[in-house]
Amino acid sequence: MKGVTLDERVVALLSKKFEVGEFDASLPPLVSRERHLPLARALRDELGYHIYGFCVATHWLETTPKGGEPDPEHFEVSTGLRTPGPGSKLAVWRIRLELGEALASLAHEFAGADWQEREQYDLVGVYFDDHPDLRRLMMPEDWEGHPLRKDYAIDTGCAPWR
Amino acid sequence: MAMTAPLAAPAQPRVDPYLDVEDYEPEADLMVLNLGPQHPSTHGVFHVKLYLDGEIIIKAVPYAGYLHRGVEKLCEKLMFTQITPIVDKNDYVSPMMNEQALNLAFEALLGVEVPRRARWLRTIEAELQRAASHLLWLATFAMDLGGALGGGATLFMHCFREREAILDLFEEVTGSRFHYNTHTIGGNRHDITPGWAEKVKATLDVIEARIPEYESLTTGNRIFVDRTRGVGVIDGALAMELGITGPILRAAGVSHDLRRDAPYHAYDEVEVRVVTETAGDCQARSLVRIAELRESLRIVREMIDNVPSGPICGHKPIKIVSQERATSGQAYACLESPRGELGTFVIGGGANKGSSPHRLKLRSPSLHALSALPFVLPGHNLSDAVAILGSLDPIMGEVDR
Repeated sequence: MKGVTLDERVVALLSKKFEVGEFDASLPPLVSRERHLPLARALRDELGYHIYGFCVATHWLETTPKGGEPDPEHFEVSTGLRTPGPGSKLAVWRIRLELGEALASLAHEFAGADWQEREQYDLVGVYFDDHPDLRRLMMPEDWEGHPLRKDYAIDTGCAPWR
Repeated sequence: MAMTAPLAAPAQPRVDPYLDVEDYEPEADLMVLNLGPQHPSTHGVFHVKLYLDGEIIIKAVPYAGYLHRGVEKLCEKLMFTQITPIVDKNDYVSPMMNEQALNLAFEALLGVEVPRRARWLRTIEAELQRAASHLLWLATFAMDLGGALGGGATLFMHCFREREAILDLFEEVTGSRFHYNTHTIGGNRHDITPGWAEKVKATLDVIEARIPEYESLTTGNRIFVDRTRGVGVIDGALAMELGITGPILRAAGVSHDLRRDAPYHAYDEVEVRVVTETAGDCQARSLVRIAELRESLRIVREMIDNVPSGPICGHKPIKIVSQERATSGQAYACLESPRGELGTFVIGGGANKGSSPHRLKLRSPSLHALSALPFVLPGHNLSDAVAILGSLDPIMGEVDR
């Protein structure tokens, strides 16, 4: 993706063990959903990516490119891990989730994933399997809907919280 | 520091943050105490539910979100050129850093080069802002420790006095004391004024001369040391796992600083000395921040006389708000804010025919720092909770966004 150059060793790992064929310079590499947790473990244990970076979920509505097949509504979750110390490198990958699919939680591997995944669940409505404590982080507990979804209008009414 | 080998296990087993209180057998009375959401020591509005066994904390459950303004949703509706002044309000103690982190990501997404003079000015502004932020942290931390420091208000006022001097410098350049809106895609909007360098140096002289006074009140003060030494230890392995960066990680002995390790702006042209401590407690975090305050002033002093000439913006001026478009692509850029890695993840191809981001995520270091509380607070006295929370330097504006 732009602004992040993947380390050669990460590229080798992704293409050999995680069946990533395509590396687009403007997008993070796309990894299949089942390989999310093994990839995070491999990056940490084999290549020293110890610092938990971030978790970003995105909602995409159905789109139809001109003369192409329609792309159904789906989610994308990008995760970043970082190496500490001089020459620090960031590794980012993204997972495509169809509606109704959940992603394996990284919270048991990286304690920091707990809050990050809670935030994404809260705001975007992506579910994480095996998460120890999947509650809303930002919005009130009884909030309806997930505000960062594309079909959630910015002026959705709400009763004042008292 | 080579980190490919797994880290040594910490001396003590890690606290279970999901402890079931029902099964716990207290030695004294079991009590639930709410710290916050409105309490001066929470630095804003933040709520920690503390389960106490007598005076010892056995479990801490933090609740964030009281200051959630939906900034990320708002950014999806605004255009790239309109977002800078919005993010100023996130980390309201270092707005310069927010603008820079945001514009670095936009520059990466849109493929815009920043001229050398703008990069130097950004570096100087960032370091002055870091000094101002650390001064404010010192002020409020002294207040948190309160009675131990003669009410704490002495140092509070002194640090605010010096911080004002730095804000005056920013006001002269940008016209604003706080919400600068001075960065734009491709560079800066305001050039420094003639004679600004002399004023900066005069301010640096004043602050540098006063740091020993602060040290004699804090890190050199027996009462301060008693309240901070060995309190709130976050070891390096836990900090990295939680995604904690910045002074908290460096106080735990991990030499990691994006200014040196992944240089942006003009940091590849100056020497950045990374300060580390090994203890990982509140005292180590205080020592690291005060040393970084000195280090920031030194970097500014080194750079201020050598600012290269040239344009301050490498991009055509913004005449219509929808001028910048990115119909696809994703970008991430980050910098070392006073609290750690402040990053912006931006996805192009949003509304208004691509002149808004499809998704904008702000990686705030304070959120990661606060997520350490369930691991750190248990086992401590109730009175230490305030010291630990203050030593993490959380800014609720960027935690909740």
